[in-house]
Amino acid sequence: MVVAFALLAAWELVTAAGVVAFRRPIYNALSLVANMLGLAILFLMLNAQFLFAAQIIVYAGAVMVLFVFIIALLNPGVDLTLQRGSTEWIYGIVMGVLFAALFGSLLYNRGLTGHTGAFTPDAIAATGNVQVIGAALYTKFLFPVEVTSILLLMAAVGAVYLAMRKAE
Amino acid sequence: MQIPAYSFLLLSGGMFTLGAVGFLVRRNPLVIFMCIELMLNAVNLAFAAMSRYLNSLDGVVFAFLVITVAAAEVVVGIAIIVQVYRAGRDMDVDELDLMKE
Repeated sequence: MVVAFALLAAWELVTAAGVVAFRRPIYNALSLVANMLGLAILFLMLNAQFLFAAQIIVYAGAVMVLFVFIIALLNPGVDLTLQRGSTEWIYGIVMGVLFAALFGSLLYNRGLTGHTGAFTPDAIAATGNVQVIGAALYTKFLFPVEVTSILLLMAAVGAVYLAMRKAE
Repeated sequence: MQIPAYSFLLLSGGMFTLGAVGFLVRRNPLVIFMCIELMLNAVNLAFAAMSRYLNSLDGVVFAFLVITVAAAEVVVGIAIIVQVYRAGRDMDVDELDLMKE
């Protein structure tokens, strides 16, 4: 378990660095696919089978296909390999190091506390992961789910509108 | 549990940091979008980890909502990028400053 986590963590960090550092967008996109598949396995290790399936279907399936499709569509006509100068990279990395230090110190100083709930792995396994989450989605989280459905409808309408609009 | 929650949160923080750095240093809007997805994924990992270690379902449900919102965001964002491309403009976030005026 620990070895698997260490390997997956290294995999996640390396592919995340690939998303940031590769020059050609198609390599960025493929790194992101690898990253998301690794993350799906991490969800499995965290006993979140529903998230594992959602991650594979929505992210690795739908979203990344859209990305790769758009890269293939735009690539002949437009230079997608734009790069910044090394000064800007150094600024960005300094910001990243500062942010990581902030995050680490916050985690180190505050520690982790919280109220534990009733959904132990055994309790979830007794009813089934998807059943438990489905019940939560349609009872405790009914309002957020409805708001999200309106958001998805708005996104679909907006995308259709933007696709139909003639460019000036 | 053999793996402490800290390790999951540190990994999540590392992924988020890499995504934030990419957001700052890249110029191509598509890659910037991918970096945003990376940050959202890192947050999802933190949600799932805390959900597991606090024996609660809230984190998993929120991660699911984050996935949904990210999908909606990508749909609209890519539609805008394609529209910019069809208008014949440079795919460079530094050049796309039409909204400033």
